[in-house]
Amino acid sequence: MISLRILVFLIMFSSIIFSSIILTILDIFPPQKDVRPLGKYYLNYSYFEHGNITRTAKSPEAVTAIVWDYRGLDTLFETTVFFLAVMGGLTLFRVEKADLSKTRIKYIGMTMIVKQATKILAVLIIAVSASIALHGHLTPGGGFQGGTALAIAPLLVLAAYSKYILEEHGLTYLKAILIRSISLSMIWIVVLMPALNGYNLMQNQPFYPGEIFNQLISGSLFFYNLLEYLAIGMGFTAVFLYLSIPEKIYLEELRSIESEKG
Amino acid sequence: MIILHLIMLLVSSILGLFFAYMAITEKDLLKAIGFSAGQSVAYSLIFYILMAPDVLLAYIAVSVGVYTALLVFTVSKTTRYEED
Repeated sequence: MISLRILVFLIMFSSIIFSSIILTILDIFPPQKDVRPLGKYYLNYSYFEHGNITRTAKSPEAVTAIVWDYRGLDTLFETTVFFLAVMGGLTLFRVEKADLSKTRIKYIGMTMIVKQATKILAVLIIAVSASIALHGHLTPGGGFQGGTALAIAPLLVLAAYSKYILEEHGLTYLKAILIRSISLSMIWIVVLMPALNGYNLMQNQPFYPGEIFNQLISGSLFFYNLLEYLAIGMGFTAVFLYLSIPEKIYLEELRSIESEKG
Repeated sequence: MIILHLIMLLVSSILGLFFAYMAITEKDLLKAIGFSAGQSVAYSLIFYILMAPDVLLAYIAVSVGVYTALLVFTVSKTTRYEED
């Protein structure tokens, strides 16, 4: 007896195979093989100085150069939108009246195998996310990508142990939100600094140094990636910490608000 | 070489379609979240084959990690099974 959902899927599957064969035979959408003119422009202007091109973004990673330099204001407002979204989430889930420390639930977590695997994985995830973010101006990746990867590490600890383990080791809501707010204000300082010194807003070269101690840091791109990494990672961590508060505490909060109203 | 890439693209997109279809028709919401994560893995393979590593790195962390976790938290605050 074949169920209806498998049958529907098989019909979809065979129709896709059939239509892809037809498309291949008719050669309607041939794959792109050359670099488009727009792509050539960004390849020319993102790193190499040649001919009459003397000022570039100093970043071999063209995507990061576009995201934080050429289209920097886009990314800045994207970060602001994310800031507002996280703020809205934290406002919805805030706890003011109920005492969080008193209602600690005895939670033993998952089995020992999961706990040991989580210990290894959390360290590895933090290292990989740092390399994604701090090498964002050299290899694919960047602040947002690294930050979301960083947020996975406390999430794993949260699932395998409990949120109280994170808080005992010093990662509380307040610290997460504080680090995030400091990083976001630092991003605005990096944005405004060139404008205060007679350059354009968010200008990268020549105001910020391209290299420090013979290490390529691509001017402001490195700072943006580092600060965005901390802001995104800590923003997600704060949201997860709030979401993992047990439902019991919210009921207690509601009760105390109602009793105050009389 | 390009024909191999096209075949991989086809396989992973059909895998993504399969997982998406299973996630929509599934009544157990936790299983549906698992299927949705599988669909995200298939789509991240597509991003890799289409040479978009920047999109891939953002997509895989958000869709497999953050999005799945948010949905699990949401399901834990409501009921696990969808009712007809």
